[in-house]
Amino acid sequence: MSFKIATIADAETVAGFALAGVQDVHIHERKEGTLAKMDELLASKDVGIVFITYRVAEELGLEFRRRMRTKKLLPVVLRIPDKTGWLPKVDELQEIIRRTVGAEIIVKGGS
Amino acid sequence: MAKAIGVAPTRMELLKLRQRAALAQKGYDLLREKMDALVIEFFEIVRKIGVVRAKTMQQLSSAYRSLSTCFAVQGTIETYQAAREAKKEVEVDISTRHVMGILVPAIEAKPVERHALARGYGVYTTSSALDEASREFEKALGDLIKLAELEEGAREIALELEKTKRRVNALEYVILPNLKSMVKFISMRLDEMERENFSRLKRIKAMLEGRE
Repeated sequence: MSFKIATIADAETVAGFALAGVQDVHIHERKEGTLAKMDELLASKDVGIVFITYRVAEELGLEFRRRMRTKKLLPVVLRIPDKTGWLPKVDELQEIIRRTVGAEIIVKGGS
Repeated sequence: MAKAIGVAPTRMELLKLRQRAALAQKGYDLLREKMDALVIEFFEIVRKIGVVRAKTMQQLSSAYRSLSTCFAVQGTIETYQAAREAKKEVEVDISTRHVMGILVPAIEAKPVERHALARGYGVYTTSSALDEASREFEKALGDLIKLAELEEGAREIALELEKTKRRVNALEYVILPNLKSMVKFISMRLDEMERENFSRLKRIKAMLEGRE
């Protein structure tokens, strides 16, 4: 089945993704608007991937995390760095590993 | 031993409890195996993510760089205009596959890189910086789609792993010890009753012999 891709980011990042051909873009301005858009994307049946920048995700905070926990398998939500390259200090995946395995595990790339 | 109070010390109950303990043990072994398999799968995917992520981030930052160049060379308004004009037709095929009974998305990206003329903005009024930025972003998008598949898979497996681990721990540290202590309590109690009975019979026999 074919699915669309959506992006939620600041204006410049959105411009870049629009140039690459992403169909559904949303420019983050206010929290409420972005949350409404996110709900719409998560509920829609033909959106397969949602890219959202770390900065926007961080700004949405708890609301974002709650939606991530309760969402269905699709759409896939992937957080990306924006043009400043800013990353949060704790990686979500590392956090899950730490919680389940009980130890910080660093897997060396390329091995 | 605290929970052992609630059971009646009968042979029937003992048999039932033994059965339950055996079942719990079997379930525990199975879950344990599942957990091991999940861990292997999980680390496989985490290793892959490490590689893909590094590559993707590099590509993405180079895409942002060329976009900034484009903003500078061509002007902000023109770039936004081109972004609005660009044809938006990227689609991905998503199916699901099973890993140890977990649904994991398998995303298949159609090639997202296009020819400059196919992008939909006017070639005449735009500079080559825009073409460059578009190309970089298309490449980055392709990488990001791959990364999205892996990360989502890892997330699903990790969540399942967490759930399985919780179940294994519950069985190992709560349910199995409880059942075992209950079994022990009943069998001790039954033995005790047997000994009581035995001495009672002895006593009665002695009394009966004494009367004759």
